[in-house]
Amino acid sequence: MVRKAMVKGSVFLVLLMSIIAILNSIFILKTVHRDKLIEGLYNQPSDAYDVVLMGSSHMNGGLDPNVLWHQYGITSFNYATGGQPIDVTYYLLKEVLEKHKNPIVVMDLYYLGSTDEYGEEGYVRYVLDNMNFSMNKLVAIINCTPLKDRIDYLFPIFEYHDRWKELTAKDFNYGSNANYAKGFEAGIEKYGKDDSSNISTTKTIDLPPKTMEYLVKIIDLSKKDGFKLIFTNTPYDYNSPGESSSWVKEPIEMFNKVAEIAKENNIPFINYCDKMSDIGFDFKEDMNNAGHVNIWGAVKVTMDMGKFLKENYSLVDHRTDNKYAQWNSDYVRSQAASLSVENKSS
Amino acid sequence: MSWNPIYCIFIATSTLITYSSGLLIEKETKHKQYDEERSVRLKKFWVFLNLLSNLGILFLFKYYNFFGTTLVEIFSFLHINTHIPSFDYILPVGISFYTFQALSYTIDVYRNDVKAQKNLGKYALFVSFFPQLLAGPIGKSKNMLHQFDEKHSFDYDRVKNGLILMLWGVIQKTVIADRLGELVNTVYKNPSNYQGFEIAIATLFYAFEIYCDFSAYSDIAIGAGEVLGFRLPKNFERPYFSKSIKEFWRRWHITLGAWFKDYLYIPLGGNRCSKLRYYYNILVVFFVCGLWHGAAINFIIWGAIHSIYQITGDMLKPVKKTMIKKLNINTKGFGLKLFQVMVTFALVDFAWIFFKAGTFTIAITLIRKMFYFNPWIFIDGSIFKLGLDQKDFSISILCVGVVLVVNMMQRTRNLRSELSKQNIVFRWSVYLTTVVIILIFGIYGPRFNPQQFIYLQF
Repeated sequence: MVRKAMVKGSVFLVLLMSIIAILNSIFILKTVHRDKLIEGLYNQPSDAYDVVLMGSSHMNGGLDPNVLWHQYGITSFNYATGGQPIDVTYYLLKEVLEKHKNPIVVMDLYYLGSTDEYGEEGYVRYVLDNMNFSMNKLVAIINCTPLKDRIDYLFPIFEYHDRWKELTAKDFNYGSNANYAKGFEAGIEKYGKDDSSNISTTKTIDLPPKTMEYLVKIIDLSKKDGFKLIFTNTPYDYNSPGESSSWVKEPIEMFNKVAEIAKENNIPFINYCDKMSDIGFDFKEDMNNAGHVNIWGAVKVTMDMGKFLKENYSLVDHRTDNKYAQWNSDYVRSQAASLSVENKSS
Repeated sequence: MSWNPIYCIFIATSTLITYSSGLLIEKETKHKQYDEERSVRLKKFWVFLNLLSNLGILFLFKYYNFFGTTLVEIFSFLHINTHIPSFDYILPVGISFYTFQALSYTIDVYRNDVKAQKNLGKYALFVSFFPQLLAGPIGKSKNMLHQFDEKHSFDYDRVKNGLILMLWGVIQKTVIADRLGELVNTVYKNPSNYQGFEIAIATLFYAFEIYCDFSAYSDIAIGAGEVLGFRLPKNFERPYFSKSIKEFWRRWHITLGAWFKDYLYIPLGGNRCSKLRYYYNILVVFFVCGLWHGAAINFIIWGAIHSIYQITGDMLKPVKKTMIKKLNINTKGFGLKLFQVMVTFALVDFAWIFFKAGTFTIAITLIRKMFYFNPWIFIDGSIFKLGLDQKDFSISILCVGVVLVVNMMQRTRNLRSELSKQNIVFRWSVYLTTVVIILIFGIYGPRFNPQQFIYLQF
């Protein structure tokens, strides 16, 4: 009798879990980040990219894969999402590496400055809600979210079930939009102000404990898995986190420390906050706001990064390869889209 | 209401006192052949001591402050200034329920209805049996105690049936009661902002909210008991289909009603006495019943209203008979039954206003403002601004309909055994659909404030 109960109970649980998995995908908020993970990761063939771009919104709008393609013939995808804490980036990177073996990983380190134990729920959900169930996801939930919320991350239906009132056809048929922008998304505003943090120092400070832990984990992962890692920091006003109590107060000193750590581990660290004049970056014109570059600024940053990649790594130029024809049309589409947004706003 | 672990001391005290008094009472029963008068006297003494200590703890936590402030108010009305120190501890959760269950044991031993339990562990299990600990059903020792001596083995069908009942309980709580509660709380927390049908709808919804909420707890407790192989008593039997207030009390919170009947109403003389004494007995029982629900004047009034209903009902019996005879009304017809059910429901629902309102003043405000004719709220959309938008309101109406239909079906058949006769595809579809309904339409999760079971506060 116990055996009968166990067999029937297991079958019932499997059925129930399958239904819950379907419900989860229907009820999860359909943001562009979902599209990014489905189309950019799960629906892509393995080893589709030379380079993967990781990080928060600074990276999301900072490096444009279509420019990397058009100028250098490098294939890449931008997996960065707004407000993505560094611990989440680590687990997303692990998930990306399941699909793409040994890409060059370019990682923006803005979020090393966060002193919070856990990231903001809405931002963390951009990634965790949209990750397929895997060991990576499970460990990410355990390590990147507060205990009281973990069950809701594991079963997103618990969080989103009251969306039953607002479901549309899109919620049922999501996941079929080709991501021609390759995950890149930048603003078209012009900040119009100077960088208020234009000072320099050689001092260093320790990183917040949790972000330090994950920086070390990322470095260790690159050594263990043998992928090439490049750290970067896209241009922003160091004062932009403002009076936020959950951010390091001395970002320059922190990045000096990061530079030291990177050097010790033979990892290139390109801090564009220190390189603005080298790449012809005009803070007033090329920033969308104090924290993020705009599409024109992104082109300048991407051009420089592409040059660095081209010069330092043996990357094959795929532009003449017919297999990559789609990349050319995606580039044209992305430029047309940028132009149309630009024209609408002017 | 508090979950403070230190309050385990009180349940442990109650358990130890009632356990030892059980043994002492039984000892006197065995000795009675030697000195009957003395042993009866001693038995009564142990029962008295037992009642005093258990009810004393209950009084201290639940009623001390209420009676203290009431006395101060009475004295100040007589221009006498007094000060009674207050007792600032929160009510330990489940105290009213386990105290009554423990007392039932002592009285049952005294009456020779059960043998005293020698095994302290088993007795402690009886008092603290977790499914029913917090909000009943209140088990009688004569029905419950022996179950702790039985051997419990795994039985697939029993476990399955228990889980089905629990599932139905979860639906009643999360999908129905808590959804209705959103509207009820909106109106009852700001009575001055609402009137007419807004209050009427909220009061109607409250009747179903409290029923589904409490019935949900009972079903989950009974189901959990069943999973473990224990038979807990039924607590509800389609109460809103009662044709009289008297019948309502045989169908609503059955175990509490039975407790009062066995241990208060019958000892007082029940109805086998003069009319006046009978009415007095009803008044006393309902006064205590009101007070059991909470140390507040509104609960006492709620109890009093129910006693007045019953007394008036009894007094009007001859008038009712004459009317039926003169108007030649078919007493077996559906029309009369429906009328009686509706009148009973209206009376019960009216009394719920006092139960829910929190204070007497709010209850009176609600009643005063309810008599205002504003049917346009159903047309201009105002009805959907009471905490439930149009979609949630529609679901609520559907839910009330489902509860009534399920109740009606329960009248003639046992739904769980009917379900078990169906093929596996149908059964599993029902189970899975039920879980999906709870998952989607339940009021739970981080976006909602968790709502406690209403009866946990008693």
